[in-house]
Amino acid sequence: MSIGILGYGVYIPQYRINKAEYVKAWGRFAAAGIEEKAVPGFDEDSVTMAVEASMNALDHAKVDASKLNAIYFASTSSPYAEKLVSSTIAMALGAPPRVSVADFTSSTMAGTSALLLSLDFVASGRGHFALIVASDCPYADPGDFLEHPLGAGAAAFVVGEGTPIATIEGSGCTTIEALGERFRKHGEKFIETLGIPAYTQAVIMNTVTSSVKALLNSTGRKPSDFNFVVLPQFDGRLPSGIARKIGFEETQFVPSMIVSQVGDAGAASPLIGLAKVLDEAKPGHKVLVTSYGAGASSDAVSINVNEEIMKRKGAVSSVKDYLADKKYIDYIYYLKIKKMI
Amino acid sequence: MQKVAIIGVGQTRFGNIIDKKAEELFAEAFLEAVNDVDKGIDISEIQEVYIGNSGVGGGQLGNFSSLMTDYVGLTGASALRIENACASSGFAMRAAILAVSSGVCDVALAGGEEKMNDTPRNRVRYWLGISGDMEWERLSGMTFAGVFALMAIRHMHEYGTKREHLAMVSVKNHKNGASNPKAHLQRETTLERALASPMIAYPLTLFDCCPISDGASAVIVCKADLAKKYTDTPVYVAGHGGSTDRLSVFQRDDVTSINSSVVAAKRAYKMASVKPEDIDVAEVHDCFTIAEIIAYEDLGFCPKGKGGKLLEEGQTEIGGKIPVNPSGGLKSKGHPVGATGTGQIYEIVNQLRGSVEKKNRQVSGAEIGLTHNTGGSGGTTVVHILKR
Amino acid sequence: MAHVSIPSYWKTLPQRYCLIGMKCKNCGTINFPAREICISCKQKSEFEPKKLSGRGKIYSYTVIAAGSAPPEFSEQEKLAGSFPVAIVELEEGLRICAQITDYEEEDLKIEAEVEAVFRKIYEEDKVIRYGLKFRPVKKRKSLP
Repeated sequence: MSIGILGYGVYIPQYRINKAEYVKAWGRFAAAGIEEKAVPGFDEDSVTMAVEASMNALDHAKVDASKLNAIYFASTSSPYAEKLVSSTIAMALGAPPRVSVADFTSSTMAGTSALLLSLDFVASGRGHFALIVASDCPYADPGDFLEHPLGAGAAAFVVGEGTPIATIEGSGCTTIEALGERFRKHGEKFIETLGIPAYTQAVIMNTVTSSVKALLNSTGRKPSDFNFVVLPQFDGRLPSGIARKIGFEETQFVPSMIVSQVGDAGAASPLIGLAKVLDEAKPGHKVLVTSYGAGASSDAVSINVNEEIMKRKGAVSSVKDYLADKKYIDYIYYLKIKKMI
Repeated sequence: MQKVAIIGVGQTRFGNIIDKKAEELFAEAFLEAVNDVDKGIDISEIQEVYIGNSGVGGGQLGNFSSLMTDYVGLTGASALRIENACASSGFAMRAAILAVSSGVCDVALAGGEEKMNDTPRNRVRYWLGISGDMEWERLSGMTFAGVFALMAIRHMHEYGTKREHLAMVSVKNHKNGASNPKAHLQRETTLERALASPMIAYPLTLFDCCPISDGASAVIVCKADLAKKYTDTPVYVAGHGGSTDRLSVFQRDDVTSINSSVVAAKRAYKMASVKPEDIDVAEVHDCFTIAEIIAYEDLGFCPKGKGGKLLEEGQTEIGGKIPVNPSGGLKSKGHPVGATGTGQIYEIVNQLRGSVEKKNRQVSGAEIGLTHNTGGSGGTTVVHILKR
Repeated sequence: MAHVSIPSYWKTLPQRYCLIGMKCKNCGTINFPAREICISCKQKSEFEPKKLSGRGKIYSYTVIAAGSAPPEFSEQEKLAGSFPVAIVELEEGLRICAQITDYEEEDLKIEAEVEAVFRKIYEEDKVIRYGLKFRPVKKRKSLP
């Protein structure tokens, strides 16, 4: 028995809007490296997406919801600014009333925060099984280019005692105070930015680079040790910049890229990226996952893939399955179902 | 048990009646019923009053019966508002019959009133949905048309009923209603138009749905042995029956039949000692066209699943074996929810007396008539059998 | 105006969120929604919760045209137009009424296989009411 990731699952809504629709509406699509992005249906939100990803993860982990001791929800787009939604997810999954819950909000880093804390929850002996689910569909003003890359999706991980498909080797973190890049004031629906791209770029680069360095130092690893690297995917261009700076090759980070088809899924992106490489990973592979949250902080997590993963391949719908199941919508319908007109 | 006779009937025009308030509508129907008692009646003889109303739009929801009796000079009589959705006044009729037959009183009034067109569309929707299953069906986005559409789809699946059969109900009832000066929609339609009209809830189109109407109706009943004192042409209540079914359609074993209709009809037939084939004319609850087809089967006018065939043969047209809805039915005459049940009695009484205003609508020689009034999606049903 | 109150809705959350039926200890019939008197044996009975699979077939269906939905769904109508509602017969034999979502027109037929999915149903007084809809079986693979 050891502690680690027992299973995972994702959910990507079926609607897609492509670049051409934005070009028709705005003359350009201000989202580098994104071809199309996922859009939640009119009856979906970060909570409903979380429920389906969680069901997949529980099936994949072969853990019954009644066994869960903790449920952590991570999102920048919880439908409630105040009111737990992890409780909604707990009930929808059939978790017992004694389950411990928390909503991790207000940062695109919330997914990795919840993942790392769930490991601590189990390691400290507070419970045997924890489910963390990052689910997000960020909103911005349709007149703001910041809106263009925003997509949707969810990823869930079951962490606990058993025969893990993957274990956490270590993590690194860097936090600095940064202002005015991506933010949403209390009571506002839309994220904003002061729009100083060079500044935003520099803060992200430095923070992520620093957290990766912290991880490499503490684990004694070097960039080339990792078979897969998941880098922040706010657009399709950023990962290659960060990779260049740290010294990762395209073969390491390209397999984790989901932004070109899903868009920026906020707090869920790093974990959907992780799910995508785990779909392909073999025992013995090493995966580095990074996240970034404006304000600013970055997590870097090193993960070892175990033998058990082979037994679970194909057990539930993969990232590829969800990416293939799609239905295109036009920009007007997009605005309607996102309640922006 | 006392036998009961109907001595006077009245009904307003059904339709868009903006210039009359609820109590004014009721008064119009009531005064017509009083005047219809050809040898005259002192209204102070009316001791028991039952008025069907489903409260669409709100208004005087509490003590509704006091407002009505007060307005028409019946203050002092015992009065009750009866709410069983679209079967409200059908059940008000039954309550009046029970009051007389039990010997509690000699003369009773049954009636119904509904004003639906003075309420904004969205609010009418609030009120219409209150008589189906609120918790599960309505909160699935279900409407009344939707519930009957579920029945229609299943009826089509099990018995081969076609959209054309639904449209045939519409065409027949519009034809009858076109000659009814009190009908809401006094115009004929064609099969093609009915089929091509806008979809409301697949497979039901606008022409498969009854209109939203205002209107009132009233019926005066008395002990049968007193009837000749009031009129030379009394019509007798031969039988009646009421029944309930599960409120939610999805929990019923069979959605192609409305069990409350089957049971209520059985009880009425038994009390009247008649069989379905003895019925000369019927007013049935065709809130949606499929409901009329299902009613044929539930009332025993044809075997289960053969409602479509009965229509094809024209047997339910005036002149057929069993003319149904010579008034135009809810489809064409209109459906002011709370007034529909006693409105059906108004029609059958005139059919049995041979006093229908236009001869092309008169079922000649009719001696036994039936009314069938269903609440909501079949949660309640009341059937009356009347004899000349 | 007529509506289903929050406490009433809350009382039925086990049914609405995760399809908990109540099995009659007297005759074994699963009652859904919960009842005090068993729908089948009509006895005042004890009931035990039974989680339903969420898989079933369309027993009957309709499509509610835009403009005619109950007011709780006027927001949905504005966003998505007309929508299908079905009676679904679950594997366990009982039937429930729910919307069909994520569908293509050809998915709407009697006997079509569907599975439960957790969705927003409607919003009233700013409170989101979640519950179950059904969608054609095609998406989520489950373990045997």
